[in-house]
Amino acid sequence: MEQTMAISPLVMDISARFQEPDWLRQRRQEAWQTYTGMEAPRLEKTDLSRRSWEISSLTNTEKSISVSTQKVLSKLQGQPVVYIQDGQVVSTFVPDSLTRAGVLLSDLHSAVVEHGDLVKQYLNSVVSSEESKWAALNAAVWVNGVFLYVPDGVQVDSTIHYIYEFTGNAAGGAPHSLLVAGVGSHISFVEVLLAGDNLQFGKVHSDVLEVVAHSGAHVTVSCLTQYRKGPTHFTVRRARVDKDASMDWVFGDVGDGFTVGLLESDLQGDGARSTLHGFGLGFGRQHLDFTASMLHRGRYSESDIVMHGALRGRAYSLYRTSTHIFKHAVGAGSEQADRMVMLEPHARADAIPMLLIDENDVQRCGHAASVGRLDEEQVYYLESRGISRREATRMIVWGHIAPVVEAMPSAPVQELANELIDRELA
Amino acid sequence: MAVPIFVIRQLHVAVEGREIVRGLDLTVKGGEIHVIMGPNGTGKSTLASAVMGHPAYQVVSGQAQLDGQDLLSMSVDERARAGLFLAMQYPAEVPGVSNANFLRTAVNSRLGEGHEMPVIKFHRMLMEKMKKLSIDPSFADRYLNEGFSGGEKKRNEILQMGVLNPRIAILDEIDSGLDIDALKIVAQAVNNLRSPEVGFLIITHYQRLLQHIVPDYVHVMMQGRIVRSGGRELAERLEAQGYDWLKQELGIEDETVGAPA
Repeated sequence: MEQTMAISPLVMDISARFQEPDWLRQRRQEAWQTYTGMEAPRLEKTDLSRRSWEISSLTNTEKSISVSTQKVLSKLQGQPVVYIQDGQVVSTFVPDSLTRAGVLLSDLHSAVVEHGDLVKQYLNSVVSSEESKWAALNAAVWVNGVFLYVPDGVQVDSTIHYIYEFTGNAAGGAPHSLLVAGVGSHISFVEVLLAGDNLQFGKVHSDVLEVVAHSGAHVTVSCLTQYRKGPTHFTVRRARVDKDASMDWVFGDVGDGFTVGLLESDLQGDGARSTLHGFGLGFGRQHLDFTASMLHRGRYSESDIVMHGALRGRAYSLYRTSTHIFKHAVGAGSEQADRMVMLEPHARADAIPMLLIDENDVQRCGHAASVGRLDEEQVYYLESRGISRREATRMIVWGHIAPVVEAMPSAPVQELANELIDRELA
Repeated sequence: MAVPIFVIRQLHVAVEGREIVRGLDLTVKGGEIHVIMGPNGTGKSTLASAVMGHPAYQVVSGQAQLDGQDLLSMSVDERARAGLFLAMQYPAEVPGVSNANFLRTAVNSRLGEGHEMPVIKFHRMLMEKMKKLSIDPSFADRYLNEGFSGGEKKRNEILQMGVLNPRIAILDEIDSGLDIDALKIVAQAVNNLRSPEVGFLIITHYQRLLQHIVPDYVHVMMQGRIVRSGGRELAERLEAQGYDWLKQELGIEDETVGAPA
């Protein structure tokens, strides 16, 4: 049920629990008002009218580390990692070398306490609480997530891992993460969002990841997610990319959930560039309404989007790839490619490429999209060498997805991705 | 193992409802090289694809057996595992799947679960076979046929044949699009494999491949069936004189499928 009261007990509870400063308490309250004041939007391909917005305050203290998480963690000995389950911090490890270099890595609540000014400066500066009902909800009730701050000129060699696990114990969730890459810094960050098999139905999960890539920064953010059946998932991941900075996204979801997602680079600076390589493997009764978007505001900004989808069962996926070249973004260039393959007769897919171009002087802007069944000529060819149809299908789908997995800057996460994918293609 | 035997009896094959192969009989045994020649449009490639089990080709009637097993009741992969190999005229490109990975999966599919070839052993074997075919080692890591030239694709087909050790190998126009050097390499590969353990069925337009591979039997296909069989001299005569004399002898005006006999 939607709550209409001006002051939410949920927000008060969270603020009190984490003894938050007034500025944050106030921001949460304002975001809550924005949230309650907004209608659930009408999306072209997704009916939200019957989805619940119920969320609890995430006080679960029962922790049971999943086998997958254990596996990943065991291979990350000595590496920077933050592991959170259902909003509770389970473990954080920051190597001394990072601390000495001035890198700040912690959960977001700790960052509010220890580096309140930085959090205050950047929180919701990239994903505004006003932009959507779910962004407002997240801004109002976020509980944990990761905070990473890399000072100017610092190159972090090891990949930073952030594992968020949500389980059947959580009644919805709202993690919020904030990455700030200083001028000329280099970071590579991997987020793993793991979900159990028994997530609660009738709840809402709204996660937000904000990235600020200051001038000349090189940032790679890789996300491996499991948006599983149960709650309604909303996810917004956006980077603000300043002058001559680069932002590379690698995204992969293996899920059967009901999800509305946005992955976006806001190329504000001149010469800013971004790539986005993604895959989705949908199964069960998945409904995925996913937008990959590049906003070109800076001159000579460049972007590339490549998305691969494979669908089984009764899964439905919509991939919207959007490039918006704003007026004055002279010399901007962008390319998009989508390829979606339906592996079973009841799976469905839509690809919607969108090019919004307000500037005349653009160097390149193209798109290619294909939606279809498995290529029978390919299957036949592999079968003719003695490979079973099932194995042939697996190989062909892998062929599309593998380059994306291989781009994830973490061997343990690649292995996990392989495992999740193989489980669904077996 | 016994000498392979591949038998086709009164095979009729239709594509999109149109009958292309119309009553074809052929027996190939291990150690033999058979060549099917014939002008375009006479059903040669249709025969090859139908026997392999391409979904677009419907066998209307007839039989095809390998070592006494009914091929037509098997799925494509079962046919391959039974020992049938088809070097395709237009092999598919499969992006993202490396040649080596593909070949190893294929080899292991034939060996069966629990009998897989160790990776190192496979790799060594692959490198050796590639060397014999003058194939650059980088081939192993390239995606299956993606961006391969016509000649590279053909050599890759031959490589697969060498790796998979089929009992019956059908080569569908393996010589088309090959320059003379590549042609020699392909011919050499076939000659090297030649043994009582494998029978070959080579489909070609041209006699030139037969300057390097000496066939035991030459068959001419017209109007969807074999109209004349002979030895190597038949191919030589066709090369020298074309098909007109044969058409005249047989009273055929139009050799393509669907023309009146």
